[in-house]
Amino acid sequence: MRRISIIQGDHAVVSEPDVMISTLLGSCVAVCLYDPIAKVGGMNHFLLGEPSEGQALSAIDMQRYGVHAMELLINGMMGKGASRAQLRAHIYGGANIISGLGSIGSSNAAFARRFMETEAITIGHCDVGGTSARKVEFLPHDGRSRCTKVSQQVAETAPVAKPQPAAHRGELELF
Amino acid sequence: MPAASQIKVMVVDDQTSMRAMIRRALQDLGFKDVRDKASAPEALASVRSDRVHLIISDYNMPEMDGLQFLQNVRADPVIGKTVFIMLTGSSDREVVQKAAALGVNNYVVKPFAPAALKEKIERVFGELT
Repeated sequence: MRRISIIQGDHAVVSEPDVMISTLLGSCVAVCLYDPIAKVGGMNHFLLGEPSEGQALSAIDMQRYGVHAMELLINGMMGKGASRAQLRAHIYGGANIISGLGSIGSSNAAFARRFMETEAITIGHCDVGGTSARKVEFLPHDGRSRCTKVSQQVAETAPVAKPQPAAHRGELELF
Repeated sequence: MPAASQIKVMVVDDQTSMRAMIRRALQDLGFKDVRDKASAPEALASVRSDRVHLIISDYNMPEMDGLQFLQNVRADPVIGKTVFIMLTGSSDREVVQKAAALGVNNYVVKPFAPAALKEKIERVFGELT
């Protein structure tokens, strides 16, 4: 079986059998989406739910947010033949591990639930909250997942900004 | 300098949460008349019957994508000159070039900050008040 490991800010979409996507979560949330008819699945891993009202943000800040992570995941799945109306979700993570981060984990989990409700995506498994890190393993082809609590430390820092393609750096000056 | 409050906007994105975020960003910028639709065919019908000054449309949508939507708008003798700003993913360089050839007024790469959206709108309309 081929294994794909994703980290904070990443997502992966797979339509082939015998592939597992995995990730390690603290206060972050991972959403596993799958289309049981098209046999396409994917997972993301995001640090924050959504920006608070009036918050000044750069495009790089926005990469950390679930609203963007969900868009990338859904677009990736639709690109491989999934249909929005057939999507099912599992939600994991959102632990409140480090006291200094307040209830960021709970906010992340609440965002993920609210997002699925807003977008009318049915939630299958949901294992969120608590104070333990989690390891999530997902078989995207058939939508099965496994979530186990782990004792190891999970990095709770913002991801290093990825280099942007030319279009994002403004090099594609058409206007 | 045009007043943002006088500009009628149509936001088109298949993701409800993204439409809500764009609406919020536009309202923070002073736009008062912001409508939204979840698909390009719905938006096309709407702007044909009730014209807007600005269309902000996602590219990646099922049924009719942003490029097809733009093509339909430009081909319409009544709404053909409506300002059209496309929202694209960071890897959609080719899409931007195709959109430019079809007459898009500007584009914004997702994820975007509200300031970037404002800048792209102002490049078309001039400084907003």
